[in-house]
This record gives sequence, structure tokens and C-alpha cells, in this order.
Amino acid sequence: MFLRLLFESFRRQKRRKSVALLAIALGMSIATAMIAVGNDIGDKINQELRSLGANLVITPIEDTLDVNIGGVNLKPASEGAFINEQELIKIKGIFWGHNIKGYAPFLNAPQKIQTRTGQIDAELIGTYFAQPLHYGKDQFTTGIRSVNPWWKVEGAWPPDYGDFPEQLPPDVLAGIKLAQQAGLSVGDQIEIGGRKLRISGILNSGGEEDQSIVAPLHIAQKLLGQPNAVRRVTVSALTKPEDAFARKDPDKMSPAVRDRWYCSPYANSIAYQLREVLPNVRVEQIRQVEQNQGKVLSRVSGLMLLLTLAALLAAALAVSAAMAATILERRQEVGLMKSLGAGNSAVASLFLTEAGLLALTGGLIGFLAGAALAHRIGQSIFGSAIVVHPVVLAVVLCAAVIVTFIGSAGAVRKAMHFDPAVVLRGDA
Amino acid sequence: MSLNRIKSQLLLRLLFKAAWVRKDRAFTALVSVAVVATIATAALTIYSDLEGKLSREFRGFGANVLVSKTSGALTAGELADIRKTIGNTGEIVPVAYAIATETTSNARIVVGGADVDKLRKLNSSWSFSNAGQGSALVGARVDETITHGADLQLSFGKTSAVIKPAGFFHSGSDDDSRVYIPLDDFVRLTGVQPNTALVRVEGKPLEIQAVISRLSAALPDVEVKPVRQITQAQTAVVGKTRSVVLASSAVVVVLIMLCMVATFTGSVLERRKDFAVMKALGASNRTVNFLFASEAALLALTGSSAGYVLGCGIAFWIGKANFDAAILPQPLLLFPVLLGSVVLALIASTAPLRLLQQIQPAGILRGE
Repeated sequence: MFLRLLFESFRRQKRRKSVALLAIALGMSIATAMIAVGNDIGDKINQELRSLGANLVITPIEDTLDVNIGGVNLKPASEGAFINEQELIKIKGIFWGHNIKGYAPFLNAPQKIQTRTGQIDAELIGTYFAQPLHYGKDQFTTGIRSVNPWWKVEGAWPPDYGDFPEQLPPDVLAGIKLAQQAGLSVGDQIEIGGRKLRISGILNSGGEEDQSIVAPLHIAQKLLGQPNAVRRVTVSALTKPEDAFARKDPDKMSPAVRDRWYCSPYANSIAYQLREVLPNVRVEQIRQVEQNQGKVLSRVSGLMLLLTLAALLAAALAVSAAMAATILERRQEVGLMKSLGAGNSAVASLFLTEAGLLALTGGLIGFLAGAALAHRIGQSIFGSAIVVHPVVLAVVLCAAVIVTFIGSAGAVRKAMHFDPAVVLRGDA
Repeated sequence: MSLNRIKSQLLLRLLFKAAWVRKDRAFTALVSVAVVATIATAALTIYSDLEGKLSREFRGFGANVLVSKTSGALTAGELADIRKTIGNTGEIVPVAYAIATETTSNARIVVGGADVDKLRKLNSSWSFSNAGQGSALVGARVDETITHGADLQLSFGKTSAVIKPAGFFHSGSDDDSRVYIPLDDFVRLTGVQPNTALVRVEGKPLEIQAVISRLSAALPDVEVKPVRQITQAQTAVVGKTRSVVLASSAVVVVLIMLCMVATFTGSVLERRKDFAVMKALGASNRTVNFLFASEAALLALTGSSAGYVLGCGIAFWIGKANFDAAILPQPLLLFPVLLGSVVLALIASTAPLRLLQQIQPAGILRGE
């Protein structure tokens, strides 16, 4: 009997039911889309913030001070300490290795550069451009092109040579200011330490590198006679904004707290893990980048969180209002059922079951539509999909049932309070 | 009493009674309109102020423009020009550099001369630890490798001085190998005037671009360079965040509008009997339409006014909670929000009437 009532109610009131279903589906697609976008925005903006460049820098502990004014390096090539290039691959092996988006090693020294027209003093910088590397089974590419995305090259980026090519002169980049000063252009040959090099592109970095020759690391090591030597490594890592807990000293923590600290992707804990795998280095936050990106990130995430809350509240209210409206119109039915002898609980269970069924169907439709919307937003703004976690489906279905129950319950109770005779006479 | 007067009194009574007798029905309609108006107002208010609010967060990055002269020092006139161009909100810190030798360790150190307090304010992301009554800011690596908290004995060739630290800083950049002393002391010791100025221009990405072009035009002998990674990141982050807020607000507003239209349409369809009784009593289609429309318009106007106020409140609160600065109400939004709600309500309430008009009143009253 109950099932028949339920079935007939859906069959005979298609219009009314579809209005309610539509409202629930719309409300739940808002919920799904906003939860998905709000949940993923942190990661997406974090990726955008990597365009600020590296946020950690690794230098040898024994290194002497940098003597660098206005892009001119006055520290002799032989002075100071170095990091072994072979060890750098361990950077990918730390606990938060997946958060390391890239790293770029540097070896630099002032050199005399022989051009067609004469000799000029400039800095020689060796680095990775887009060096393919293996760590265990993982293959990845790292270098300055991903770490410093604002570097622009007119011409071609040089390849990362494994060794000095003996037949042809290897390709290097000339900084734009140096090129203007020395009259260098793409295709020209220069000489450093008696070795010929070809300029494959003009670099515009907006920084001090504009006055230098930027060469693949292995070429620079050869030219400077320092195999495997690296002066400095910049690391670009996805980090969690720093809070008071992040600034604590891990060596003074209890083991449980220390584990929690170690397993949070703070810049400080990533720096700590880097020091563990690379002996005798200091790892420092590039504070200008790290401190501020955290602030920007938390602002953007906070904003989306609040907007999501507001939208969820609005969706809940809208769905509740829609449910209340459809049930309020059915007081005559309630009157009829009660006059035929139905108890309050029978009436309530019929209405609430209807509401539950509507909620589940509407919630499912809304989830699918909302997931599609979130996907679309991600693709069009960030060029990468926003993936909706399956847990959201459970959350949305629960929310749909709760919200429709709240919306229906008030209206059902109200409908039951009326005297059936009055309702049926149409006086209520 | 003229006929018109009676008619308008009757209309008012009908409107009032329709709302009063079925308070719950009017209330649900009111809530659905108010929700649309609230969320639309809040989203649009936040969106309109977002660029400014988010750009402010990039202040902490410090200097976003470097001004330098390749030969000679920046003149007082040039510095005044820069100050004028960047306005009151920006900051400028002229800096001069020289190399000194620390006499106890014989190490070479880059020494900068600048207004130390301003430099500290500009680089708020550096971590500072106070050291004492001195006047110099000492980089972390200088302290670690050479001085270990002690005073610096600096020799600039002909002159020399003992520099007492006021504080140590960690920056993670080349500055960690430098020492900054007050500009007056620096000029006295070296005779060198600043040839570089660290400039922080405040504003939205486009405003910053405009200031940079104005600076380049005003100072032809000086190189004006944006710190590209900061300006680029600001443009990317502010732009994308705006797009996300706009897209998600659009989704929310459109869907919730549809939701409201469904509620409205549903409740009008439920009133077939009212409609049929009116028609049976001789009301014309026009009168019925008018009656339903004015009811909807009144509800929408009330609901959206309340929604506007509530939406402004939410935007204000979100600004306070998230950006520590209120997002102020936009009076310009009031009219579009009210108009939009009324138009939507009119469409939602009169469209179903057209459906009903095709049915005979007698049929509806019989329950068909």
C-alpha cells in the first residue's frame, strides 16, 4: 500500500515532482562545483605561484661570502666550496620529493670572453636548461626553463650536453645586455679559455644574467676545469604556507610531533629533508618568494572557502524553499489522508520518503552536472582539469537528503497541524 | 467614489490578502528571491574589489621595480621624479654599494648604504633578529662565517670604521652576504652616492605597468627594470583568481536563479484554482496577468532589497575575515540586482499563466 501510494504520487504529480527535482539538482550542482573548485584552488594557485621561481636555495656550508655588485661577480672561480653534482639527484628522493617541481644547479665565475671584435669581461654561468634525469624508475626533466619561467630566449635554447662535443662548438646563450655591448647576435662564435662556443640564443631574464654568458652546466664545468662542481642550487617546491608550528625547531620536538612536522610540506621541513640527503650544505628559504607566496595562497584559498560556504548556504536555502513550497501546496492531500484514518507518522513517512527519493536522484544529477562544470572551469582558466573527489558524491547526497528533509519537515508538520475537515473545505 | 478608485482598492486588497492568507507560500517565494539577490550581490561586490585587495597582498614581495644608473649617481632631481611618479602608496629606497675588507678575517664584503629602517620595512619578508644598539643590518652569512655576533672592522681602502650591528637578517638571496649601513655613514666613508633605487610600486598589475612606462619616459638616462618574476606572478595570480571567482559566481548565480524560477513557477501553477475562480467571475486575461505579475513584482522587490543588504553584509564580512579590510558595498549594484530579480520573478510567474489560459476555467475547477 505504502509503495503504491509512493509510486502513484510520482506518476500522477510529474510536474510537481520535476520542479522539486530540478531545484534539488541545481542546488547540488552548485554544491559540487563549488566544493570541487574551492578544494582544488589552493593547488592550482600554488602552481601559478611557481612562476615566482625557486623558493629554496642550497649552498655549501664552507662557502665564502658572495662578492656580487650589480650583476658583476668579483669572487674568483677557485675560491669557496662546491656541491657535488652527482649528489643532487637525491633531492628527488626526499619524503616530499613529489613536491619538488624542479631544481637548477649553478656554477659561475668571471671570465674573459673573446669575440670577433675584441675581448670583454663577463660572468660565465653554467646551469641545466631542461636536463632529463632518472631517479630510480622515475624520469623527469629539470632545469632553469621550468624553475625560472620568466626567462625568455630569442633564438634557440641550447641542449644540455652530456660532455663537451669535440666536433662542433657547443651552443650557449648570451645575455641581452652583453650582446648589445659586445655586438653579439645569434649564430656568432665566441671563445672562452681557448674553446669555441656558438651563440644559439639571446637571453632576456630581466635580471643580472642579462650581462652574462649562460652555458649548459657540463660545458661550464669543462671550461672552468671543475668537473662535477656546482656552486649553488635553487629548488622550486610546492609548499604549505608557514605557520607557528612550521617555525618550531624539529630537534626539540617529541617523536610524534616531529613526525607530524616532518610529514607536512612546509618549506622548513623540506629544507630539513634536503640537509639530510646532502651533507655539508645550508638550505635557506628564498624568503621573498616563500614567505609571500604563502600569504597570497592563504588569501586566495580563504576567499574561495568563504565563497563556497556562502554558496552552499544559499543552495541549501533555495532547495529548502523549493521543497517547502511543493509540500505546502499538498495540504489537501494531507487532509484527505488523515480523514481516511492515516496517522501523523504514516503521512510524515510518505512525504519524507518521497523527499528522500527526490534528494538522492536530484543529488546524483546535480553531482554529475556540478562535476562537469568544475571540470570546465579548471580547463578554461588553469588549462588543467579540476578533479572531483568521489567522496564529494557522498557528501553531496547526504547534504541533499538533509536539506530536503529540513525543507520538507517544517512544511509537513505544518500541514499535519490543520484540522482535516477545515483543509478539505478549503478554508485553511 | 469613482470606479477607478474602487478598482485600485480592490487590487490592493487582493494583493495584500494573497500574501497574508497564504503567508507560508509568500514566504518561500520571498526566501528564494532573497537568496538569489544575496548571492548575486555578494559575488559581484567581491569580484569588483578583488583585484585591488589581492594586489595589496603582493606588497610583501618588496621592491618590484629596480631603477639604476650605469654611470654616475642618481641625482636628487631624478629621485624626486621617481617619488612623484610612484605616488604616496609606493616606496623608494636609494642604495649604494661598495666593497670593503673585514680586517680581522681579511674577507671581502659587499657593503650597502641605505636608509636602514626603510630597507627593513621594504623587505618585510626577511627574518630579522635584533642585536643591539648599533646601526648596521648584517646578513646571516656574514655573521655565520665572519663576525659571529661581534662588531665589524671594515676598511674601505683609505678609510676604515668599526660597524656595530643593529640586527641580523636571513633573506635567502645574495643579500645574506652583505652588510647594510646608514647612507650618511656610507657616503662619509666611501664618497659614493647611490646609483640604484629599490622601488615598490603599489597597485593593480596594469597600474604598475603604467607607472613603469611613466618612469622610463620621465628618466631617459636611467634604467627602469621591473622585477619580472614578481610582476608576472602578480598578473597571473590576480587574473586567474578573478576568473575563478567570476566563473564560480556565475555558475552559482545562474543555477540558483533557475532554482528560484522553478520554485516560483511551481507555486503559480499550484494556484490554478485562484486563476479559474477569477476567470469564472469574469476577470479578463489581462487583469489576471496583471494581478499575478504585480504580486510577483512586489515579492521580488521586497526579497531582493533584503537580499542586497544581506549580500553587502556578507561581502563586507568576507573582506574583513579574509583580507583584514572590508569590501565596501557598491551602490551601483543595487539597481541591477533589484531590476534583475523583478524581471526574473515576472517571467517566472507570468509564463505559467499562459499555459493555464489554454485550459477552460471550468475544467480546472472540476479538478482536471
